[in-house]
Amino acid sequence: MTTARALPTTPAGPGHAGPSPARPAGVGTAYRWEITKLAALVRTRAALAAALVLPPLVVLVLNGQTPPVDTLYGRYVHDSGYAVPLLLLGFATQFVYPLLTSLVAGDIFASEDHFGTWKTVLTRSVSRSQVFWAKTLAASTFAVVLLGVLATSSIVSSLLLVGHQPLTGLTGQTIAPGRALGLVAAAWATDLPPLIGFTALAILLSVVSRNPAVGVVGPVVIGFVMSLVGSVGGIGLLRPALLTTPLESWHGLFTDPSFHGVIWQGVAVSAVWTAVCLFLAYSSLRRRDITGG
Amino acid sequence: MCARRPALPWGVPAFIVTSCRLPSVAGVTDQLAVRIEGLTKRYGSLTAVDGIDIAVAEGEVYGVLGPNGAGKTTVLRMLFGLIRPDAGVLEVFGRSWEQNGTDTLAGVAGFIESPKFYPYLTGRKNLQLLAGLDGGAARERIDEVLDVVDLTGRDRDKVGGYSFGMRQRLGVAASLLRDPRLLVLDEPANGLDPAGIRDMRALVHRLADSGLTVLLSSHDMAEVEEICDNVTIMKTGSVVYHGTISALRAQAPPQAHLLRTTDDAAAARLAAGAEGLSVATAEGQLAVRGTQDAIDAYVRTLALAGIAPRSLTLGEAPLEALFFMLTEASPDSPPHGTRTDQEALS
Repeated sequence: MTTARALPTTPAGPGHAGPSPARPAGVGTAYRWEITKLAALVRTRAALAAALVLPPLVVLVLNGQTPPVDTLYGRYVHDSGYAVPLLLLGFATQFVYPLLTSLVAGDIFASEDHFGTWKTVLTRSVSRSQVFWAKTLAASTFAVVLLGVLATSSIVSSLLLVGHQPLTGLTGQTIAPGRALGLVAAAWATDLPPLIGFTALAILLSVVSRNPAVGVVGPVVIGFVMSLVGSVGGIGLLRPALLTTPLESWHGLFTDPSFHGVIWQGVAVSAVWTAVCLFLAYSSLRRRDITGG
Repeated sequence: MCARRPALPWGVPAFIVTSCRLPSVAGVTDQLAVRIEGLTKRYGSLTAVDGIDIAVAEGEVYGVLGPNGAGKTTVLRMLFGLIRPDAGVLEVFGRSWEQNGTDTLAGVAGFIESPKFYPYLTGRKNLQLLAGLDGGAARERIDEVLDVVDLTGRDRDKVGGYSFGMRQRLGVAASLLRDPRLLVLDEPANGLDPAGIRDMRALVHRLADSGLTVLLSSHDMAEVEEICDNVTIMKTGSVVYHGTISALRAQAPPQAHLLRTTDDAAAARLAAGAEGLSVATAEGQLAVRGTQDAIDAYVRTLALAGIAPRSLTLGEAPLEALFFMLTEASPDSPPHGTRTDQEALS
């Protein structure tokens, strides 16, 4: 290090008033900062790339194979381009959503522990609350973008590769292509609330465990356990409260008559999961001593 | 008015500053940059910081010295709001975390232990992000601070590829971005090679000379002695000394000469009658303390007595020796466990 360099503009010396207090960064600035960091991560870009590329590949593979008749809309994948996105939607809800969203949300807090950077961030003009909400918004943004990319890629690729034939509803009715497109898009949209719920769950695990691996894998395991529990009989009261149940609420859109009550119930359940997880995560972060790094 | 403490082990009357106003240091104002009173932090049954008092005046270069585990870093973490104290007062430029939240850190910058950055981002990107968190205006100063720490040219490399010393310098650059009035550095030379230590100390010197208040934590007595005006020495969470470096130096024992001879026992007996000389056996050799003239005379006496000196080397520096005495002796020893009095901070 050269020691003869000029110092930057520094305080004028004892007694000087010094710089005015730093302007608080605010959640907006901290949010942009989180997005910048996410954009620089290979993992984030890889997840988005996978969401973009995998659906067309799956459509291509399905096109050349016998239809998977034992899965919802599996039997129609050669008949209508609107059936494939629904098949993919059913598959995505099993593992893909929890995994993809927790790749970011499960790591976004714990990575600060991993890199020892909490002290770097929290010794600037930004509060823990601001950092918490900025990170939560950033993780939610990723979840929304991910869902959007996955849905768009699935719908566009299947329409291009299979075609936009009418879709057969779950009660056997025929749904015209235009209406089918709207319903398929709505079906994907109904997964947004539980996806945000899984994001909040990943955030909670990330904050509490301070371990990126737990934050990423935890929601996948919990989602899998919920799916198992949801498939077991005799849990009528518990089933609606599971975070995986709203992921199937789109079924009601494709019946005649359609039923939307379960969708709103799913929104409420997801909201409760989101609120509880975020409250616990926020409380934990506010309380904790930053001793690592 | 200073309180007289019992004599230190080597017989020098000690004025551990327990209740006297700190001597003024050139360029230091009456306004306190940091006021800490009765600060306490407990982890279960362990008291990491036990009711300490520290006062750092504006413009001062202040050292917090102590061995690892003394509680220095815990104090600094509380200053930065990273951990919450269990008791006590902590104010920075008259602001506290309870009343002012993150505004407490206005005009304050620094790093705790080794500075940490996002390894997958470049040094410049890290600084841009941190400047953004400070309100954005500091972005204009990035080139300037990179130049100060001599990282221009490496600023577009990812931090993951930086050496330890480069990260330390980037930490200083990140601190300077805030244009601080108070710079808090925790073991800034820790882990650096000798050249890095020299350069880091020179940098801290220059920052201090520019009028910045510097609060420096270290376990290296020589570093604190070289840079600081006042010092608090901590041991297991308590303050064992608080005062000026010059006062500390006055209390330090004379530097020992370590002597090996052909007959150490006889040499020790010969020293018994020598004026102005004290000899003690330490770790298989003789520790000789006294004036240079007395030591010269002693060596001549040894030769006349047929005892050949095999080696005569300088022992540890006096302040270093005092530091070890303050921080390693049992808690019952006189200077230990003493506290800075409230009065000293007023």
